[in-house]
Amino acid sequence: MTNKSTICILDDEPIVGDRLKPELEEDGYEVEIFTSSAAAIKRVEEQCFDIFITDLMMEGVDGMGFLEKVKECCPGSAVIMITGYATIESARESFIRGAYDFIAKPFRLDEIRAAVKKARKKVRR
Amino acid sequence: MMVKLADRLASLFMKVIPWRGTRSAISFNDLFVRFHQILEENNRAMELIAEMEDKLGGQYVFDRKFLEDTVSAIERVVLRSAYNFNFIANNKELEIYKVIESLARHLRLELAGKLVIPSGQNVLALEDIQEVMDEAVGNKVYNLFRISSLPQVSVPPSFVVTIGGFRKYLAFNNLFEKIDGLMEGCKNGQSVESASHSIRLLILNGDIPSDLRQEILKAAEKICPKNPESSFYSVRSSSVGEDGMMSFAGLHDSFLNVPFRELLSSYKKVLAGMYNPESLEYRIQRQVPFSDMAMAVLYQQMVPSGVAGVAYTLDPNLPDEQVCMLGANWGLGTVVVEGGAADMFRVSRKPPYAIIESRISEKKWMVVPFGGAEEATHVESERVNESCLTPSQAASIVETALMIERFFKRPMDIEWSLDTEGQLRILQARPLGLSRGGQARSPELKALLRERTALMRDLGVIAYRGVGSGPVWIVDDNVSLEQFPSGAVLVARYGIPLLARAIPRASAVITDVGSPTGHMATVAREFRIPTIVDTGSATDVLKNGQEVTVDAERNIIYEGRINELLHHQLLERPLFETLYEFQILRRLLRRIAPLTLIDPDDPNFTARGCQTFHDVIRFIHEKSVQTLLQIAEKPSSLLVHGGKRLKANLPLNLILIDIGGGLDETGGKGGWVVPEQITSQPMKALWAGMGSPDVWRTDPIVADFKGLMSGVTRTQTAAVAGQVLAGLNVAVLGEDYMNLTLRVGYHFTVVDARLGAEREKNSIFFRFVGGATDISRRSRRAALLMSIMEKIGFKVEGSGDLVIARVANSGGDRMKEYLYLIGRLIGFVRQLDILMTDDTTIDLYFEQFMKANNIKTTSDHKINRSDSDDK
Repeated sequence: MTNKSTICILDDEPIVGDRLKPELEEDGYEVEIFTSSAAAIKRVEEQCFDIFITDLMMEGVDGMGFLEKVKECCPGSAVIMITGYATIESARESFIRGAYDFIAKPFRLDEIRAAVKKARKKVRR
Repeated sequence: MMVKLADRLASLFMKVIPWRGTRSAISFNDLFVRFHQILEENNRAMELIAEMEDKLGGQYVFDRKFLEDTVSAIERVVLRSAYNFNFIANNKELEIYKVIESLARHLRLELAGKLVIPSGQNVLALEDIQEVMDEAVGNKVYNLFRISSLPQVSVPPSFVVTIGGFRKYLAFNNLFEKIDGLMEGCKNGQSVESASHSIRLLILNGDIPSDLRQEILKAAEKICPKNPESSFYSVRSSSVGEDGMMSFAGLHDSFLNVPFRELLSSYKKVLAGMYNPESLEYRIQRQVPFSDMAMAVLYQQMVPSGVAGVAYTLDPNLPDEQVCMLGANWGLGTVVVEGGAADMFRVSRKPPYAIIESRISEKKWMVVPFGGAEEATHVESERVNESCLTPSQAASIVETALMIERFFKRPMDIEWSLDTEGQLRILQARPLGLSRGGQARSPELKALLRERTALMRDLGVIAYRGVGSGPVWIVDDNVSLEQFPSGAVLVARYGIPLLARAIPRASAVITDVGSPTGHMATVAREFRIPTIVDTGSATDVLKNGQEVTVDAERNIIYEGRINELLHHQLLERPLFETLYEFQILRRLLRRIAPLTLIDPDDPNFTARGCQTFHDVIRFIHEKSVQTLLQIAEKPSSLLVHGGKRLKANLPLNLILIDIGGGLDETGGKGGWVVPEQITSQPMKALWAGMGSPDVWRTDPIVADFKGLMSGVTRTQTAAVAGQVLAGLNVAVLGEDYMNLTLRVGYHFTVVDARLGAEREKNSIFFRFVGGATDISRRSRRAALLMSIMEKIGFKVEGSGDLVIARVANSGGDRMKEYLYLIGRLIGFVRQLDILMTDDTTIDLYFEQFMKANNIKTTSDHKINRSDSDDK
């Protein structure tokens, strides 16, 4: 067991995970990436991560559904929502449902790194 | 033509304009409202384009959806602009819709991962390749074409059978369906090996269509004009996606020393090579669409070489050492490529690229072309044990190889030759395949970096991610950019377009002031040079010659060279450039961002001539302005419709048209306004320069001030008399917009500018053409204008007496300074052509203007940044 914070990234477009993984690993996190919500949910049922980063719009179970699943299985984790459909509505709804943060795609790598850092502090508290 | 159009539109002078079609009348004001909308829409489109371009720099995470959304947003906004344009142009520009539709269709195909191949070009000479053709010529050829534009890189005469040619071959032999069937079988779990075997047989057994044969043979004759039939060629594969991560193909599908009679059969062999099992496997894994499977074939002249060989930019066995490896032998490179006896050199990767170790082999054999075949021949005894490279030759090969490595961001395997005159040629360049890829910086590396001195941290904006290292070279006007040493770090006060000359040779670029969406950043991205702009203080903090490492991944500039970091970057860092989405973005941008329609007098300046969305935007803008000005050909009619005469000390018959917020009209009477009433930001700035009394030349060209403005000179000839246009000078003004058209002194000046609170929207377009004197004097004046404007920071183009200068994305203070200087320049160069009797006058007046306006150099032409909104 390492002491590293763990992150689960779910986005149906592989490029998101491909770009985020090395960046976040460099910041000292352990990162797993998923491109289907079914596979990510299966994993969540086995193990919690400290931080989840999930896309909102996806086929099958969408980000909102995944958020609910995480809240149910891992209430102590922080969930960061990312989406290309950045509307105030979807942001508000995800906050109501317990998301920790909300980032609009496309985003800068330093934005997400800062959001993750903030989320880690919250989880650690 | 302009006058004719004006006649046709003369009816528009009426307050209520009869209009054809369903609507009965349009008021003059409505036209300006529409024009204003066009400005807004075009700006929105340019913003969207800039957003897309910005994503190429690697600091953003974006997805396919973003690309789709942005492309459709651009399409929508450009369409709206086209509607408004046609409203103004009385539906005379319907062709533009077709152009927009065709561009949009093209982009949608690109987004769907389909290759869009220019039709009708089955064979192309390397020099005829254009920026948008990567999908037509495959990556290897495209890369060769790209590096052929790098300084110091020369490639042998080459041509390519395009992917269009490949498709033609498949169609001619009815292979599409058969291959698809076999590939589908693979996806459903059938043996990749056997599919590969069957496809290759199908290809080898096909026939080349006769016109394609003819084209290939003709192109071969062109690259070897003296003796095509007894020349040798190399024939190499160039498939789409062969660069970087997809560098699976290669080893077995290139043929060297191919005689003329085998040119056609080699073509088929190279095509068949694409369907090797590894390549098929890779595509299945990465889900690269099979429709992307297409192969172009590169033919090169085998240049008679004195020495040839390979260069590895890192030692594959000892990649941790900072050395390049060279293998070389006399004659053609075949011996080295095939692993025969060769001299081996280990050369330092640092200037001056000294040889660290050499192992001179006993080179008994060399390969030379001989009578229609290659032949191994004895090396003369005195040269058997002689080193085939001198230290300076080795250094120059390594310098070039490292420049290519910087471009590709990976250790490279490069084939080169030195001809009998010592000219270096690059035959092929591909990734060395040492990359371990996809690894984060290790805790050890991070610890090491923490120990190092950071000279600058988190200042400015990353315009292109990456890491580069070298000695600092601060742009100094007294030293030509041509002297910029390869591999140095380019540091400049401003990110001006002029830097483009040095950027390809730089290992990194840093500026004090600049924007990631400016022209310079575009060039840096084009050449993939790690770039940080807008740092505020790089020229103060960094010292000339100081060795630094620029970490444009984390925005830190370290003192000294950090080999561990460079090493990590080269070998382990995942390359965003090679990700599929980045490739799509690049392809999309080629049909969106470049501006190819520049000169409105170019016969190609038509709707049909628009090759990109940027062209469409430019075309609509220019034509809308022209249409409005033609409508307003008569000053009197303009005044009837609310135009105001400017009351100034200059007898410049200037009429101002306010399209909203451009003039403070309170207190103006009788159709006159004074300069103080100008509220248009750009016009105010321009007038500050143009209206100052010392600007206009008063020396002997024309004695009296009034005559000076009238533009009639005594040197007038019948030929130039035709150029005299009505002396109407019009400025269309908005709060943050101006379009000034001046027709004085036989020359025609346009300044179209936008200056507002948002730096991203700011731009200046300047165009100057004409004059009363002979073409050589007018051209001298044009050359003078070009050198001044380039020096100030414009991107400049032109030929003959035409000058076009552009600048964009500058902050408010900088923009005001630019406009002020343009204002002064307009006065300064007026009728100056008469005095420009020889070429020395160009320098003379250049100095005069610089001195008079206190502009010493680009590097110290400083604007106080603290109070500028250049951020």
